[in-house]
Amino acid sequence: MSGSAKAPRDPTSTPQGEPPPGLTRRGFLGKGAAVVAGAAAVAAAVSPLRRLAPGDVPSIEKLLQKHYKEMTPAERQAALDCIARAVEARYRLRPNVQDPPPLDGVEFVYALNISRCIGCRKCVYACVKENNQSRSPQIQYIRVLKMDKGSIDVETSDHHYYPPVVPEHENYYMPVQCHQCKKPPCVKVCPVEATWQEPDGITVIDYDWCIGCRYCEAACPYWARRFNFAEPSLPADEVNPDMSYLSNRPRTKGVMEKCTFCLHRTRRGQLPACVEVCPTGSRKFGNVLDPESDVSYILRQKRVFILKEDVGTLPRFFYYFDERGSRYHEPMAPAEQGGEK
Amino acid sequence: MTELPGKPTLNPLIIAAVFAALAVLLAAGPWRYQKPYNELVRPPAWATDISPVRRPILRPEIRIAGFTYRCSECHSLFPSPPETVRTLTQHTDVVLKHGINTRCFNCHNLTNRDTFVDDWGREIPYDQPQLVCAKCHGPVYRDWLHGSHGRVNGYWDATRGPAQRRKCVECHDPHQPPFPPMRPAPPPQTLRMGDQSFSPEHQGVTDPLRVYRHALPEGDKAGGLKPEPEMQDTAEEGWP
Repeated sequence: MSGSAKAPRDPTSTPQGEPPPGLTRRGFLGKGAAVVAGAAAVAAAVSPLRRLAPGDVPSIEKLLQKHYKEMTPAERQAALDCIARAVEARYRLRPNVQDPPPLDGVEFVYALNISRCIGCRKCVYACVKENNQSRSPQIQYIRVLKMDKGSIDVETSDHHYYPPVVPEHENYYMPVQCHQCKKPPCVKVCPVEATWQEPDGITVIDYDWCIGCRYCEAACPYWARRFNFAEPSLPADEVNPDMSYLSNRPRTKGVMEKCTFCLHRTRRGQLPACVEVCPTGSRKFGNVLDPESDVSYILRQKRVFILKEDVGTLPRFFYYFDERGSRYHEPMAPAEQGGEK
Repeated sequence: MTELPGKPTLNPLIIAAVFAALAVLLAAGPWRYQKPYNELVRPPAWATDISPVRRPILRPEIRIAGFTYRCSECHSLFPSPPETVRTLTQHTDVVLKHGINTRCFNCHNLTNRDTFVDDWGREIPYDQPQLVCAKCHGPVYRDWLHGSHGRVNGYWDATRGPAQRRKCVECHDPHQPPFPPMRPAPPPQTLRMGDQSFSPEHQGVTDPLRVYRHALPEGDKAGGLKPEPEMQDTAEEGWP
């Protein structure tokens, strides 16, 4: 069988003249074609590199940048300038990149009135807009859970609800975001110390130091950390130019990000974006070390509870509720079922 | 199969054909890269608008046919009978659904229509509507004063800027006080919590990180509480 296959090949592969051994015209052309085709295959394999933007290759300056906490003020300013240049090259706008320090005598605390929240998700999108999160794939720091009344079981909650109008009468809503814990498990597990707790209580990330191992995402009991699985896409006309190093500067693929209580706003005295937008005023924010602040009053006077208090992370995020339900127009329980709820 | 004598050779044309086919496949293969995530979603403009749900004019004015009148301009000419419970001939846009508070002059001042009235018949200025609400809603007024109830915009730090404490009527219609239902912003399509049906390779795969309400036994809802009689139409039949 092989003999019959070999027989016709012999006369064709042997030219008429005396060929140099190993090199024939036909063999040369064949091998040449193989080399050309191989080169074409390699070129085709690496062809996705054509889509590489100039900003995708990190500069030497970026590679040599130190950890945020080890930078001198000059190096920190250089890092801010580097961010500003990158943003300008990519989005064609001049950002205001700053690094506001934590304020003395300030510890931020968040309170959320779950008897007033109607689950409209405006906070989610105000946060996305303020903090320059990726739109595709979507990244959202706030997750609004639709809960069954009479239960606080988050495992039966639902964040996909989309009725024509909210609130739905048989449910209440519990938004969850970073709780800025006093004993943050996400900080404990970070192998490279890319995340830490600031003196004002905000846990931050140095996006340039993060290696993207996602240990912190696994450690967080509130599911509050988000990972950039793909290159974040952000329309240039929606970039918030008011940026800071530790909060809302644009992130890259492969790093974690999280809610920072909008520290570029709150460290200048402003309220976070989610508080500003909440139509019902369910969201409260302030300095817990100030006894006159709204949150101090709430923690002293209202019925406050902590989500997953038993995990012992000591969150700075508190849920509270009013003496009566917020929605009086709903059917209320008849008198024989007990008094006020 | 008998072995060929000498070194086995492979026709370079075959190699070339394989490489060429590989190049064509890699450059324009039948498999296209499919993003396993959503297309661009812009935050809806109405969802990031921070203006309050109502914009009441805190002045005793009414606009009729392009002209602005003070309340007293009509009401000094046409006095209203006290204890009015009747179909209004004017102000027909007012829908009064305020519980047992069904009388106009529980809040409005019978003698000076440019003001409100307190429990002792004294005037409350028109731009201080929270004092009217406080007549009945004491605990809420207390919470509002301390910042537990109601909306605040601006600055948490009074030394750096003003805090704009929204008044009652900027969220509640005084004639129909329950906070109006509103449409919700779209649900998340994020990679770990989004709707994963948009990508064909994810179809049919149940993400364990997503909790499907319909997949749960009925008894798991609401911690086993019994449904209230008013809600029995919505409750399923699987209750114990």
